[in-house]
Amino acid sequence: MASKLLKIAPFEAESQLEVTLRQAFGELEPKLRPPFSLAIPNPHEYSQLNKAILYGILTEPGFAKTHIKLLHAIVTDGYALFVGFLVKVAADLYDKLVDSAKDQLIWAVKEMVDVVGVGFDGLLVCLLRQIAGGDFSDGNLWLCFEMVTVLFGKWDCLLEKQPLVLTSALYVFLRLLADHCRVSGNERLEALRRLEIEFCVKMLREQFHLCMRMGRDLVRLLQDLAHVPEFRAIWKDLLLNPNEFRTNGFYDIAQLYSTRTSSRYFLLRITPEMEAQLRFLLVHVKFGSQKRYQAWFAKKFLLGPERGTLVIDIVRFICCAHHPSNEILQSDIIPRWAVIGWLLKTCRKNYVEANAKLALFYDWLFFDEKVDNIMNIEPAMLLMVFSIPQYVDMTHSLLDFLLLLADNYDVGHNHFVMRGLSSAFNTLVQKGVVHSMDVLISCDALSPLLKERLGKM
Amino acid sequence: MVSIKDIVPAAQNNINAQFILLDKGRTTMEGQNKTCMALVADETASVHFQLWGDECDALEPGDILRLSNGIFSYNRSNHLVLRAGKRGAIHKVGVFTMVFAETPNMSEIRWVPDPNHSNKYVQESVISPHSRIFPPLP
Repeated sequence: MASKLLKIAPFEAESQLEVTLRQAFGELEPKLRPPFSLAIPNPHEYSQLNKAILYGILTEPGFAKTHIKLLHAIVTDGYALFVGFLVKVAADLYDKLVDSAKDQLIWAVKEMVDVVGVGFDGLLVCLLRQIAGGDFSDGNLWLCFEMVTVLFGKWDCLLEKQPLVLTSALYVFLRLLADHCRVSGNERLEALRRLEIEFCVKMLREQFHLCMRMGRDLVRLLQDLAHVPEFRAIWKDLLLNPNEFRTNGFYDIAQLYSTRTSSRYFLLRITPEMEAQLRFLLVHVKFGSQKRYQAWFAKKFLLGPERGTLVIDIVRFICCAHHPSNEILQSDIIPRWAVIGWLLKTCRKNYVEANAKLALFYDWLFFDEKVDNIMNIEPAMLLMVFSIPQYVDMTHSLLDFLLLLADNYDVGHNHFVMRGLSSAFNTLVQKGVVHSMDVLISCDALSPLLKERLGKM
Repeated sequence: MVSIKDIVPAAQNNINAQFILLDKGRTTMEGQNKTCMALVADETASVHFQLWGDECDALEPGDILRLSNGIFSYNRSNHLVLRAGKRGAIHKVGVFTMVFAETPNMSEIRWVPDPNHSNKYVQESVISPHSRIFPPLP
């Protein structure tokens, strides 16, 4: 029997989640039609009723209003259960949903924002994560459009109840704009891009105190958009007129530099499916057995024409949001630096490679032992050191890039960057990631020029 | 569920197992039907799997598959293969997140009739530690 909820490929097993929802609907269907029962459901019945209503909303667009009316009538938990099931559908089944169910999902999300359903912020975040980076397919652009429309439409409510959702959305759309502003000649994309820009500019100009909380990665994303007129002005103000943001306590861009960006932002640009595969690779796959997994991952996520920019987000995710346990660190599981080395090798375009390296070194530039985590800077160091025997070109190119950053990254704050870099090196040695800087400075295989510049630092 | 390292050739459709599809060969025609050789493995061993009909296009490397009532026996080309057969079924239950071992490969073992049970097979020798059709990636 064809599923009303999911597109099931040939030979694909049923989804347990779908079965659960469908069975609840099948069992309770008569109760979903008026006149509604006045009996108070027990906890099991309540849970089943929530599932049935959700299935009804997703598969019967014509009756959605009736279904939601029933939900409003029975709800006793602030919609927590219903939102929880929506999150499960959005996280586990989104890609497989038939198009009409996707429409209905967005409709239900708006309803849950309107009633301030418990956990609606997590639901919005979950859908933001389903927007795939570098994917210009109609379905993906549709989701971008729907999400930015929801955020505009519910702006006041979000600002009052869950302002951090807006900050998360800002991270997502700034990052997407870097891709969307690179491709032109697509009318639909043009309209979407205008909305995305409008949203981000509104956030930055009107709610900068919220944007600030994102920390240093706000700068990393903005500098990639400095060529876009709307952002050029913001970029200039950030560097030259911080008072323009009329935010108490903000007087210098270095305040952003010194705020470490929370790891939850990096998850926002990794779809749940990518996260599952990357974590599996880094927790279960032995070093030496990774080739097939890497090939499958690349085929699925990295090979499309504009999809290469995902590498930047994955590097940031691995450095800042996936910190292995000591048990894993001492095992024969593939280390993070090796995965990052592979990702850098997949870069086909220079600007992607440069941005990926910036992502890798970004926390080095502003490293402060008091707020920063050594695990964020460890992969870059180990990649440089362990590449020396067989891939010295990798070490050269990374070191060269790091020295380039030292000289040129925000020249106005050069002292700040130099302090960050030297603090990063010191901490790496103190904590025993490397025994001393001699592994690089005294390495015969490295160019004398690089070593000299490194020594001076 | 049986581990791949424990399967033994037999003329019975009784193998229930879960494994990951590692590689796929070219699709060819056998009479009216498409067929395609593949390498599958679980955490204990690998084996050659014969895809049949629409399975050849629908299933891809990286897919995690569940076999019910499959059979491990010699096919028409005298290759020792695991397959769903007419009475079994194969379903895709996931992707990527499964560890695997390419050695031993149960299709690369020479099996001989068990002297004590004439209708059973026992391992005689290892022809190759891994698949010769789909060698491990360098």
